[in-house]
Amino acid sequence: MDYDPMVMDDAEALGPVVKISQADSVRVKYELSNSDIAFANSLRRVMLAEIPTIAIDLVEIEENSSVLADEFIAHRLGLIPLNAEGVENLLYARECDCDGCCEHCSVKLMLHAKCTGDENMHVFARDLVPVGERVNQVLGTPVFSDAEGLGPLILKLRPGQEVKLECIAKKGIAKEHAKWAPSAAIGFEYDPHNKLRHIDLWYETDAKAEWPPSEYASWEEPPQEGEPFDYDAVPNRFYFNVESAGSLPPDTIVSEGIKVLQQKLAGLIHELAEGEGDGMNGDYNGPRSPEYGTGADGFGGYTTPFGNGGNQSSWGGAGGTTPYGTTPYGAGQSNWS
Amino acid sequence: MNAPDRFELFVLAEGEKKITEKVVSGMSNCSDFILLKEDHTLGNLLSAYLKMAPHVMMAAYKIGHPNVPEVLLRVQTDGSITPREALVTVCKQLVAMYGQLGREFQKELALRQYADQGEHAGGAGGAPGGGPSGQNGF
Ligand SMILES: [Zn+2]
Repeated sequence: MDYDPMVMDDAEALGPVVKISQADSVRVKYELSNSDIAFANSLRRVMLAEIPTIAIDLVEIEENSSVLADEFIAHRLGLIPLNAEGVENLLYARECDCDGCCEHCSVKLMLHAKCTGDENMHVFARDLVPVGERVNQVLGTPVFSDAEGLGPLILKLRPGQEVKLECIAKKGIAKEHAKWAPSAAIGFEYDPHNKLRHIDLWYETDAKAEWPPSEYASWEEPPQEGEPFDYDAVPNRFYFNVESAGSLPPDTIVSEGIKVLQQKLAGLIHELAEGEGDGMNGDYNGPRSPEYGTGADGFGGYTTPFGNGGNQSSWGGAGGTTPYGTTPYGAGQSNWS
Repeated sequence: MNAPDRFELFVLAEGEKKITEKVVSGMSNCSDFILLKEDHTLGNLLSAYLKMAPHVMMAAYKIGHPNVPEVLLRVQTDGSITPREALVTVCKQLVAMYGQLGREFQKELALRQYADQGEHAGGAGGAPGGGPSGQNGF
């Protein structure tokens, strides 16, 4: 309740300010101002490494007569982005009561392709078909962001070759393996004019002439000619560029990152308050996490403005059923092989 | 073969506590906090904000070895509050600040969506291959 924002100076009391300069289904660019580098960087680190998503973690290969080795294919499958909408309702496999995996902690996907034509066949993520019970209807479905709705190319088959395999996708975070990273990249920049001299630019004759100005150079006042160096200056405006890898929409990556960080901090508050007994941490006693607290602000939920459009391909129905049978992609694509 | 499971980087082992306080005997009003299965994300954040907090004389953190997911956070106060109280206050402040960041972000996003809708007159949001490229920057 008494979140007095602990006045440090007048500006700080206002708290962080956000200005979005671009937002679509692939990326969100925003400026975080009136903030501190530690605050901004922790958010960046969490968005990179600690947001739960879902990725293929186990592959059982029944048949593989392609030119690629089993483990090579398994690695490629792991890196295919799967829709992570609703992953908060999935358990971590290591915390599930089942032995191995079940519908509460995993999604099963099948891939079966045989090249029956006389031209090389391409096997895409689209041919990866979720089977069995799922937490919801989209969780674990491969993400297609290309115009054809095929998804990434997994492998190619010569006439007569065949792959048949079963994948188990599990929940995880990128600290365990990068395949669980929701973000493809996170741009992070501050002080575009290098007034703080945190960067020592390499140059041949003149750094100013040789280095292109930052995209944000016009957002900040350029240094005056002969301006003395301000030893007390600290960065307080940060430019983020959050690019999604497909499993979560970019704005969800930001809000989930904030949530994960809040949960970390609340966990500490809770542990520190334990055994204190007095009312010092009254509002944090009990098994309550800020997950629920923030929900009241319309912030805990998973729905995002892009939830329906951006993440989910409109392909599903159009291409019809791909009952992990042979995929007729041999024809018309031979320019690839 | 004998490699530890990777999730041991962030999952507490049986019986481990996330944070433990150890009073530093040689210094007044000073405690070390040992955070298990954490890294610079919390270490740097907490030490930076403790340094700014009132009644805190000194705050610093270290990660003894890059392969060992343990953070040592040392906090010394002026005696009017305990290091533990200082840390709890800073954590609460940060939860509130990140909460505000989230609300600001959602507010800005809603504003943009509203503006975009006006522009594209209800255009399909998120067609395969890019969606509406909100290029109307500043
Ligand atoms: Zn299970």
